[in-house]
Amino acid sequence: MRNRLRPLLAAIFAATALVSAAHADQLDDIRKKGEIVFGVLGTDEPNSFVDPASRDIVGYEVDIAKAIAKKLGVKPVFKQLAVAARIPELQQGRVDVLAASLTHNKEREGQIDFSLTTFVTGQKVLVKKSSGITDVPQLAGKKVLTVKGGTQEPNIRKAVPNVDVVTFETTQQAFLALQQGKGVGYVNDEASLVNDYAKLGPAKKDYAILPTNISTEPLALGIRKGEPALKAAIDGTLRELESSGDADKLFVKWYGPATKLQFDRRSFRIDSDKI
Amino acid sequence: MPRFDLALLLHGQYHDWLVTGLLVSLKLAAVVFVFALPLAIVIALLRLAPLRALRALGVAYVEGIRNVPLLAHLLFWYFGAPELLPDGVKERLYAGNFEFLAGAIALTLYTAAYMAEDIRSGIRAIPLVQFEAGRALGFGFLATMRRIVLPQALRITVPPLISQTLNLWKDTSIATVIGVAEMMYQAARVESASFRSAEAFAFATAAYLTVSLAITGLAAWYHHRFPVRTV
Repeated sequence: MRNRLRPLLAAIFAATALVSAAHADQLDDIRKKGEIVFGVLGTDEPNSFVDPASRDIVGYEVDIAKAIAKKLGVKPVFKQLAVAARIPELQQGRVDVLAASLTHNKEREGQIDFSLTTFVTGQKVLVKKSSGITDVPQLAGKKVLTVKGGTQEPNIRKAVPNVDVVTFETTQQAFLALQQGKGVGYVNDEASLVNDYAKLGPAKKDYAILPTNISTEPLALGIRKGEPALKAAIDGTLRELESSGDADKLFVKWYGPATKLQFDRRSFRIDSDKI
Repeated sequence: MPRFDLALLLHGQYHDWLVTGLLVSLKLAAVVFVFALPLAIVIALLRLAPLRALRALGVAYVEGIRNVPLLAHLLFWYFGAPELLPDGVKERLYAGNFEFLAGAIALTLYTAAYMAEDIRSGIRAIPLVQFEAGRALGFGFLATMRRIVLPQALRITVPPLISQTLNLWKDTSIATVIGVAEMMYQAARVESASFRSAEAFAFATAAYLTVSLAITGLAAWYHHRFPVRTV
């Protein structure tokens, strides 16, 4: 019995070794597969959202992702994720890279690695003017709405300790709840918030974005821990985008004066992965 | 993967969040049960009523509710239905804990549809002669049901009703999508704050399991204490 089991065990060990060898370097795997899977939100204009005309996922982060795939010589595949599912999906290997409006912060550094910072945004609060609220501290004791699983909830709680927070699966549900009057404020990254604000159309006059940032969020791509080759390839591509001026073009394309967001200029450069 | 940290579940901030979530889940399930059961009896009686219009109403309710996913019910009662109300009423509703209220309404209507079907089969399990005997003694439809058929039928219905109560208990977890701060909501909150997914969901799993087993135990006890009377 024992003798008969031994070759079987040996085979299992060999197979395990092969499998782990195959996973030794994610970059090689990506090249072998010929595709790289990006986890995106798809609900967060202008970073990644579904273009109503073509039904494709497009956006600032999507363009960056495409540039990386092109550089690696593989096909980019986009997989939509919920905000709260981003880090678990990356850790479990169901996506290769996160390009999902992901904040780079100290707490998350223990879980995953980050690329160079690709965007910097403040987090702000949108309110209805009828609430009479003109700045962040007045939100004390009031109900504010935001998305589950992001940095928005911890940040607003830090900024306004006794605020009442209700969270939803997507930012757009939280935004809808604000419009319906189910809370006085809606918390999100400034870039997304300005975009949502623009979507209100003529109703804009009834809303205001509170002036104070509740935090400043460096956004970056998320990479699994222990994949230095993949990180180097991604950071290399990002540095090239910056030096060639393409990064600036992308900013203008998605955030610039001709867009809903109408940002005049870029306040950051893609050159560091330190926060 | 970091070690499983049991201490995190026993005290501290995350423990408090999870326990608050458990209490909200229990409260939600209890409120829904209290309203769903009587509603289910009414619907079951509608389906057995002597008038065709009433029967049609019962059928429409059960089929209309049962054939739409619970998620859609929750989103409808939170985002959809209240928008039809006048502004003043809306404002007053939204000032309170409207997430909980909308969740309770959606779950009550949903659970009642299933319970109604179980109660109806319980009633149909009582020999028709019981009903006929009641009518022959001069009781009306409702009085016959109340005094003769329902007391017997409800005993037969207890096992399937318990099973519906278990479903209800588990269904409360879906209310997280409309921001009800129940157990899954708090578990997800602990997960995103601490990255302790295993601990957070182990707590939720243990809590759901414990309450479910308690409900099942209650059912077994009830069945033993109040056995079905054979005619």
